[in-house]
Amino acid sequence: MDKLSIVLHEERTVFAPHEMVRGTIEWSLNKAPLSLDLSLFWYTAGKGTRDIGVAETSRFDDPGPVGSKDFSFTLPQGPYSFSGKLISLIWAIELTCSPGSETIRREITLSPTGQEIVLGDASSRNRFPWGQDGSGPNPLERILGIRK
Amino acid sequence: MKARDNPFSVERIHAIRYRPLHTTFPEILARLHELNYRAGIIGPEGSGKTTLLEDLRQDLESQGWRTKLIFVNDNLPLTSAQCRRFLCELAREELVLLDGADLIRRHCWSLLKRTTITRAAGLVVTSHRPGLLPTLIDCRTTPALLRDLVQELQPHGRPVPPDFLDSLYKRHAGNLRACLRDLYDLYTQGA
Repeated sequence: MDKLSIVLHEERTVFAPHEMVRGTIEWSLNKAPLSLDLSLFWYTAGKGTRDIGVAETSRFDDPGPVGSKDFSFTLPQGPYSFSGKLISLIWAIELTCSPGSETIRREITLSPTGQEIVLGDASSRNRFPWGQDGSGPNPLERILGIRK
Repeated sequence: MKARDNPFSVERIHAIRYRPLHTTFPEILARLHELNYRAGIIGPEGSGKTTLLEDLRQDLESQGWRTKLIFVNDNLPLTSAQCRRFLCELAREELVLLDGADLIRRHCWSLLKRTTITRAAGLVVTSHRPGLLPTLIDCRTTPALLRDLVQELQPHGRPVPPDFLDSLYKRHAGNLRACLRDLYDLYTQGA
């Protein structure tokens, strides 16, 4: 069975701007790929259109079917990892083999505070676009067990 | 709830493939072949046209086709200059996939339609209305389809009741994208 893995040094997943991410990639594939590509990038998740920014990439040509290799990336100043209600920005390291669809991704956090920055009040309430008159409890809120 | 944790986030929705209602992907591909790779995917807003176009692209590329995908929408219009440049750069073996054909200007469409006959391997478009090219498929939705999609996306333990989904479907006149956006907003409140 094809297997790819990314092991981060000391299992560390939270980094400050400009810090170095170190780790090891390991692969065990039925067929030797032409190359393995490792990328450090961020992407957005949430309600709107997705965005992506690649910070660094490394390519390992003719890696053979089984092996491991150390890697290191220096993180940029930003953008910081953050989450709001509408959008999250997530940093990740992804290993893909080519040709093939085998991929593995490890999420990391880039933040000067040591944790993902959370925007606003995640528990604040908005009116539902299809809500009722707003005077009483909305049955839809009850349906989904939404806390008030 | 954080955007990344929302079960109805765009990346989770995009991970779901188009679900043909009364046909199959091999049948759609066979019909596309019959139509000489010049065909239109039609249907109302939020019926899965773009999803199907993207899924067809994957299938066609896995069969060895080279494709060029153009997205056109109100925020991303196709100007005459862009259209001409696109056609100049087109290779004969490429299949043009155009999302939003009914949103481009008439003269751009005429040029694109005419030029791709000889200078491309085919032209597959999405459109709200039929008539631009022979219809490959008329995308439609049903309340059951919405229920299936939600079933796949929603977290365990807090299911959305089917009758609520039916009313949501009715409210948005079958526009599944709008239904899923409402569900995103609803779950945003529920962290």
